[in-house]
Order: sequence, then structure tokens, then C-alpha cells
Amino acid sequence: MKQGLWDRETVALLLLAALLPMLLAWLWDGGLMAAGRLGFALVVSGFWHLAFMLIRAQPPSVAGVLTALAVAMLAPEDLSLLQLILGISFGSVIAELVFGGWGRNVLNPATVTLAFLGFGFPAAPWPDLALPVGWAAIPALGLGVLFGVMALRLVLGAVLALALCLWAGVPLAPLLPVAGIVLALLVSDPVASASTKLGGWLNGALYGLLLALFAAHWQGAAPVQMAVSAALLASLAAPLLDEIALALWILRRRMHHG
Amino acid sequence: MAARPSSWSILTDPLIRQNPVTLQILGLCSALAVTTSVATALTMSAALTAVLVLSAALISMIRNHIPGSIRLIVQIVIVASLVIVIDQLLQAYLFDISQRLSVFVSLITTNCLVLGRTESFSRHNPPGRAMLDALGNGLGYSLALLVIGSIRELFGTGAWLGWQVLPTVDQGGWFTPLSLMLLAPSGFFLLGGLVWALRSVLPEQAEDPELLPPDRPEDIA
Repeated sequence: MKQGLWDRETVALLLLAALLPMLLAWLWDGGLMAAGRLGFALVVSGFWHLAFMLIRAQPPSVAGVLTALAVAMLAPEDLSLLQLILGISFGSVIAELVFGGWGRNVLNPATVTLAFLGFGFPAAPWPDLALPVGWAAIPALGLGVLFGVMALRLVLGAVLALALCLWAGVPLAPLLPVAGIVLALLVSDPVASASTKLGGWLNGALYGLLLALFAAHWQGAAPVQMAVSAALLASLAAPLLDEIALALWILRRRMHHG
Repeated sequence: MAARPSSWSILTDPLIRQNPVTLQILGLCSALAVTTSVATALTMSAALTAVLVLSAALISMIRNHIPGSIRLIVQIVIVASLVIVIDQLLQAYLFDISQRLSVFVSLITTNCLVLGRTESFSRHNPPGRAMLDALGNGLGYSLALLVIGSIRELFGTGAWLGWQVLPTVDQGGWFTPLSLMLLAPSGFFLLGGLVWALRSVLPEQAEDPELLPPDRPEDIA
């Protein structure tokens, strides 16, 4: 074995393991309906991974399960099967598979799917996630950090920003469970988040600040909608944050070494 | 110099094989902006084709008299005058659509497709051939716009050219319009998908990859 243990699939499996507490809490709460949604999302996502394996010889990845999980938990309700198929196909193919598979994508495919569904079908109501699922986000984040597949800096940055805004009087409290869930499912994705040290802090903080901004000024939006939008914007900004961190580092080196 | 292409191939090459939008990626700004409905896409296509053909004719006629150093200025002046004429015509006879096209008709002046054709073809060819080439490119542009516009209008509103094809939920039907199709991002997605589809069917259009993967993937690990 030339590659060692830490290849892409190990990371995906560990991420999945870290998310298990949330998944179980969500299944416990949602029952058969939730399981059906998850199964359906798994089938569609798996189909595209299989199709790209057969047509373009791209190895399929367990990451498809992560996408399906995030979409099943966060996608708007009352969508017809066709609409869900369209959304998941769009997210998986355009955001992940055309780039060459998981690990080369720019955005998290689940984030793109959710944004697509949210913009495409604005009338569909966003789901209300039960409180236990929100609590389960804490062990999920903890496990992810412990396994080394999620960035502690990113999580701390988000927590700090949220705490600061809460302290400053932004009405964030009803958003916190969803904020944690989306942080674990979408924002902490090791591929789509910032990868430098400073970038991680900034990425988490940006997510928290955007969420606070939406909570304060976005009238009539559902908590999941706000959190998904914040996640989308934060992961769009992630390369920029990395670039800033790199530029600062280069500047510092130039000052030290002339 | 290579053999002169036949008139037929000058006219038909830009339709698919050398399509200005999907192969040369020219004129995208307007192509993405006006394709929310088929009517605006068709009007814009007609306006652009008219400007393209007329400017090709004019520039080709005076091609031996334009000093090389100011040729761009001369070309832009000619194109801009034609655009103003077309814009006034649209405002006179198709006022509604010209309102919906807003600034994009005037922006034909700066459309890289127009300047690209006059600069690369009309300057070196007699009027007949130049006009044929312009017409072919205009039709190629129209074809791309028509395809994207049809998809966007059909899935965004359930209608095609104003006729209700898919009955929407609001009208008691079954089709839920995909409002994303009427927003700007869908223009990019659809154009990207169209280019992808075309290059899958016609692999000779695909560009060479900039980087080649190593023979054994584990070598980079």
C-alpha cells in the first residue's frame, strides 16, 4: 500500500462517522419519512457517482453519502420527487463530479443543491429541525475535530463570532441549533472550506457574522434558509480568505527576511 | 494561403462547427442577458444579425481605404451608427420588447462578436463573402440564443414564445415553474451545459487539457 491510510475515502468515512450522532437524532425524530428522504437522496446521488464511474472512469466516493445526508436533512419540504431529483443531480454533477470528483470541487455539492432548490422553488417551506438534532451537532463537531477531518479553528471562529453577536444583542438564539447543524454538515466540509490556519478562523467567523447579519435584517426567512445562505457565501469566500492568509504570510516573510 | 472556402461553408460553418457563442465564446454578455424569454432572444438575434450583415457590407466595401492605424475607430463608428438605426426602429415598432431589451441593443456596438467578424473577416474579403460570413455568424448566434432562451422560458414559466406549453400550478396545471431559470445564474449553467454537450458530440471542439495526469496516480501522493 503506497498511499497510506489517509486517502480520500478515509476522510469521507470519518466525516460520516462524525455526523452519525446527528443522523441518528434526526432519524429518531423524523421516523420513516426521514429515512425515506435519505434513501431517495442516496439513490440519486449514488446514481450520478455510478454514471461518472462508468462514463468517465472516476472512482465513486463515500462523499456521495455525505451529500445525500445533508440534502435529506436540509432540503425544503413538499418538493416533488422530480424537483428533488433535479436539485440533487444539479448539485452532484455541476458542483462536484464535473470537477473530477470529491476533493477537486470548489463548493460543497449539498450547499449547491440546497441553494438551487431554494432559489428554484422559493415557495417550498424550509424544514424545521428538532432541537435534539441541534444538540447532536455538538458531538458531531467534536468528533470531526477529534478525528482530524474538521478544522478546530473554523469551528471556534464560528462559535466566537456567534457568541460575540449574541452578546451584542443580535436576536440569534432561535437560530443556534440550525447554525450548529449547518456548521457541521456544510461549512466544516474539509474540501470546500478554507485550508490555511488564518483562513480557517476567518471562514468560521465569516459564517457566524453572515448568520448574524441575516438574523438581524432578513425578514421572513426560515432559519435553515439563512444558515444555508450563510454557508454558501462563506464557502464562496473561502478561496479568497486563503488567498488573504497566504498574502499576509508572504508579506511577513518579506519583512523578516528582506 | 489556404484554399478559399466555398460560399456554402462560409455560411454554414458558424452554425455549429464554428459557432461564435459555443465555440469562440464571443458575445456572451448579451447572450446571457436577453435569453429569459424567446421573444427577447429572437429580437436581439435579429438586431444583431442585421447589424452584423450591414456592417460587414459597409466595412468590406471600404476595406481598401481604411488606414490601418485608425481601423478600429472607423469600424466602431460604422457599427455604432447602424446600432442606433436598429435601436430607433425597435423603439418605433416593437416598443415593449425594446423596453425589455433595455440597454443590450445599444451594447451591440461593443459586442465582441461584431467587432471580431469585421476585424478578422470583413477587412480581408469582398462584400458578398463578408455578408455571407456575417449572416452565418448572426444565425449561429441566433441558434445559441434560441436554444438557451427556449429552455429558460419553458422551464422558468412553462411557456414558449408566450404560448403556455406546460400548464403551471397557478393555472390549475401540474408544472411548478423553476424560478431559478429566470435568474442570471441559470444562463451560465445552461450555456456551460450546452458547450459541454456540444463538445461531447463533437470532440474536435474540445480544447487540449492544460495539465496531463501522471500515468500512475499514486506517484503524486
